[in-house]
Amino acid sequence: MRDTAAGDAPDTPGQQYGGGHGIIGGMPAGPDAATAADSPASRAPALSAVLRAPLSRRAGREVAYLLLGSLLGLAGALPVLVLLALGFAFVVTLVGSVVGLLLTVAALGLALGLGSLHRRLAGSLLGEHVPAPHRPAAHTGPGLFARLDARLRDGTAWRHVSYVLAKLPLSLIGLYAVQWWVVGLINLTAPLRWAVFGQGTHGMLLLTPLPFGGSPTAHSFAGSLLGVVMGLATLLVAPWFTRLVVLTDRWLLRALLGPGELAARVRDLEETRALAVDDSVALLRRVERDLHDGAQVRLVALALGLDMVKTKLADESTLDLDAVRRLVDGAHRNATEALTELRDLARGIHPPVLDEGLAQALETLTARSTLPVELTVDVPERPSPAIESIAYFCTAELLTNVIKHSGATRATVSAVGSPGGGLRLRVGDDGHGGAEAGTGSGLTGLAQRVRTVDGSLEIRSPAGGPTMITVDLPPRA
Amino acid sequence: MSVRASMGAMRVVIAEDAAVLRELLVQMLEDRGYEVCAAVPDAGALRAAVAEHRPDVAIVDIRMPPTHTDEGLRAAIALRSEHPDTGVLLFSQYVETKYATELLAGGSAGVGYLLKDRVANIAEFTSALDRVAAGGTALDPEVVTQLAGASRRTDDLATLTPREREVLSLMAEGRSNAAIAAELYVSAGTVEKHVASLFGKLGLPASEDLNRRVLAVLRFLKD
Repeated sequence: MRDTAAGDAPDTPGQQYGGGHGIIGGMPAGPDAATAADSPASRAPALSAVLRAPLSRRAGREVAYLLLGSLLGLAGALPVLVLLALGFAFVVTLVGSVVGLLLTVAALGLALGLGSLHRRLAGSLLGEHVPAPHRPAAHTGPGLFARLDARLRDGTAWRHVSYVLAKLPLSLIGLYAVQWWVVGLINLTAPLRWAVFGQGTHGMLLLTPLPFGGSPTAHSFAGSLLGVVMGLATLLVAPWFTRLVVLTDRWLLRALLGPGELAARVRDLEETRALAVDDSVALLRRVERDLHDGAQVRLVALALGLDMVKTKLADESTLDLDAVRRLVDGAHRNATEALTELRDLARGIHPPVLDEGLAQALETLTARSTLPVELTVDVPERPSPAIESIAYFCTAELLTNVIKHSGATRATVSAVGSPGGGLRLRVGDDGHGGAEAGTGSGLTGLAQRVRTVDGSLEIRSPAGGPTMITVDLPPRA
Repeated sequence: MSVRASMGAMRVVIAEDAAVLRELLVQMLEDRGYEVCAAVPDAGALRAAVAEHRPDVAIVDIRMPPTHTDEGLRAAIALRSEHPDTGVLLFSQYVETKYATELLAGGSAGVGYLLKDRVANIAEFTSALDRVAAGGTALDPEVVTQLAGASRRTDDLATLTPREREVLSLMAEGRSNAAIAAELYVSAGTVEKHVASLFGKLGLPASEDLNRRVLAVLRFLKD
């Protein structure tokens, strides 16, 4: 990555910087612009953003959303409320409990439908795409009650009901926010109305969006200009009020109309399980491949070489000792190579020293490194073998990365137990940084492997270094 | 040796991606009087080498670059149709019945399929190589065992005596009566008696043609 950037820079320096600061017209291009951004000069764009907010596309969409969403919210909440109230009332009477349950189920169904409408509205106007919750077909027994039971236990449907009910007050607030816009616009027209209709009998009423404090009345054309000021002030505040209401709604949408925590967890587990399975299949394939291309070939060559020796020795009359010696040398080399390859392979599957504990294993690992490594291990409680193994191989791979990619002169490895019994592994180096996932560094694969046990991997590697990679692992898989 | 001497050295092309083994094979075959025209590391080079040298036989590793799956087999099948006069001896570290079946689909004349380990028994390996070069068949006993194990004709096989079963396996490997006799240390007449008996028991058509005999046995085992 860095190499490419460095290679491009001399060709297109102007574009690189000019493009980056194009928004701030007239700013000096170049690295200085970045520091200037923190000085008072930077307040100008912020102020202009505030002034332009009422005219922004975003504000328009948010107002439209609040208007439509609130109307839908009010219209939808009422029947749901009525159905639920009736349903509960019937259930309490016991006699009509079946009717009551049916009404409740109807309320749930209605809420699901409304939820889907709200999701679509938010998707098209706010760009807030909340994925529809995954609702697996319920395994119901036969009969009405079994079906009712399944419907009533549908947590997703109840979350939709919560949203529809929470949307009721939010809709009122939303409409109030819309009212700010309306009031602001009406006030802007005060001088025009004065000019056209005159003062009227009691002076001209200027509106305020506030529900208290009364409203001033204009008795002169100059007074009507106050309306313009009030209108402008209202319109400047309105977008932020609108945004606040929309933010609350977005949060509710995600929390209540989305897939839900449990479902998200299930999906996460499905994903990481698939990763774990793929990972182990890949490992087995690698082992097979290594055996096939390594030790097995060596052993076939060894056996063939020995048979050639045997053949040569069988006929003493034409015995060529030199040829035999060469063959035996080759056979010996093949045997030694096969041994080395098998040992490396076995260690790659499970280093025996890991049985002694992570501390010993990491010591051996860092001692074998071609780079000086400063090792700190403080793990009072041993994590499970699977975690130790992941920690070991993560360290091995990260160290390999350091040696291969970072250009570092030294590295640090620390494995420290965390209070919850988990393990925090940190591998740092003084190299040139710029490490990131997805650049062939194997970091993506590592992050995936760590995820399969609910661990996490954090990369901190600014260009120019230093690099610190932190892996947090739970006490057990 | 005498046949070869009269016809000139047998010409061989080798395709094997592991350099260690490739070089040793070349040395071994040259020691034994074969002429190795080319030794190449992949399937593309193999087809080019065969087209150029028109060898008597090609020794082909199944797993070769770039995909390390079955390029050797694909190349062997292509060679069978492009150069029917060149025998093809596939060898690999595992034998897969499916590969054997695919290879034999185009006939059993001049094809062989051996486990790589067989290389270590030079005499047997070269005799298999000679057989394939001469238009015969050489199947690894492992393939035959797999076929017989997977065969649905186990009831029929059960009617054979142990000796007849041995003879059947050796026939499936592509050996002639004489070779079977030598292997089992019996006379050729005894082998002929066993062959006639087991052909009768299994309802196989008797044939003097070695290749047709192998195919009949394989077809029987595969069913």
